[in-house]
Amino acid sequence: MLADSVFLTSIFSVLSDAAAAHGEGAHEGGHGGHHGVDPDAKGLFAGDGVLSYITNSVLVGLIVVGLILWFVRGAMKKVESVPGKQQNFLELVVEFLYKQVENIVGPKIAPQAFPLLATIFIFVTVANWFGLLPGVGSIFVLGVGPDGHGQAPLLRPATADMNMTIGIALISLVVWFVITIRELGVGGFINHTFGPKGGLKGAMKYGLMPIFIVVGVIEVISIIFRPMTLSLRLYGNVFAGENLLHTMATLVQTGNAAVDFICSVLLRIPFFLLEILVGVLQGMVFALLNAVFIKLSTTHDEEHGEEAHH
Amino acid sequence: MLEILHKLGINTPDIIAQMLVFGIVYLILSKYAFGPVTALLEERRRRIAEGEDNLKKIRENLAAAEATAEEVKAKANAEADRMIKEARETAAAAGESERQKAAAEANTIITKAREGSEQERARILGELKRDFGRLVLDATARATGKVLSPEDHARLNTEALSQITNN
Repeated sequence: MLADSVFLTSIFSVLSDAAAAHGEGAHEGGHGGHHGVDPDAKGLFAGDGVLSYITNSVLVGLIVVGLILWFVRGAMKKVESVPGKQQNFLELVVEFLYKQVENIVGPKIAPQAFPLLATIFIFVTVANWFGLLPGVGSIFVLGVGPDGHGQAPLLRPATADMNMTIGIALISLVVWFVITIRELGVGGFINHTFGPKGGLKGAMKYGLMPIFIVVGVIEVISIIFRPMTLSLRLYGNVFAGENLLHTMATLVQTGNAAVDFICSVLLRIPFFLLEILVGVLQGMVFALLNAVFIKLSTTHDEEHGEEAHH
Repeated sequence: MLEILHKLGINTPDIIAQMLVFGIVYLILSKYAFGPVTALLEERRRRIAEGEDNLKKIRENLAAAEATAEEVKAKANAEADRMIKEARETAAAAGESERQKAAAEANTIITKAREGSEQERARILGELKRDFGRLVLDATARATGKVLSPEDHARLNTEALSQITNN
């Protein structure tokens, strides 16, 4: 049943976007549009006011937030011991994710880390899938941009906007830092990062201290670069996927509109199904990497020692 | 570097806007979804654990109750056997006593019946003698044609009775 729904949605989306792609191709000279997704999210309101910060990517982000909150509100409206369908599904997702998080970060840190990691997974997955819906990237609005004469897609995949992926990564970094400091303290964090590891004692400990300090500096640099690596990974996958779909839609150009249309539909179907899978995988990867970062930074040295003994 | 950022459309206001979008969903989900749901799941897990503990206790109690019931049943069976045996013995004794009573009573009844029968026989015999004597006197008076005196009466009665007794 679910597979049928996904397949039908895919077909509908492919048909819709294929038609839009051909329309775009036919009128390419008319509006000078991009091939595929524009890396730059466009503002939807003219001028320099607060509304000018609402880009088509932010709009999709807000819609995704709205969808998630609408579902959660429906599920949590009347919480019962014997759950209804929506509550049951939410409980299923939460329980599954909580177990995964608990397995990685441990039962002590899991309650603190779970909300962030679950939100990342749910939000990124829904945003990725939303980008595959018909109409996203293919409905244009006019009179946008600073001068009020531009045009831009009304909706664009939110996670194909680097600002969004950087935003999520920065919040992850902040929450990671808060959890780490709460668990280790400032001194503990500094000791954990720059201090000797492996339970070294005596002369060995002091002899290797310079090396551990250098390792700590490298660790700090890697922490600073984490938001960039996380955001680029997600952005790259989604952006590439969207452009791949667009390329497949316009790959065959015979001049015969009917043949071009059919080819654009058929060629996109396997990649569309692949993107559905990639959407959930990227959400999972983003959340899992953050879970691993939290685990690595909150593990005490004595635990390392115990694990090594085991 | 700035050119790359520009090409990718990266700018601080957009990043802040996107952080707000994600921050909103993070805070709301943390407070109104994940907290209550995890608490609910924890509560359910606790109830299930309690239920399993209770089930274990109930099973233990049931086993103990079954053992007690078996013990009580065995005792009851033994008691019932004893009572049945006693009842049989009592019934046999009572039956014998009643039988003896009935036999004695039957003997009494038979004896009384015999006595009654004897008395009846004596009474009937007496009446018969009187009737027979009267008949003899009547027959003698008609045959002889004379009026019999009391001495004749006495003599005839004695002779007739002696002949009846002899016969």
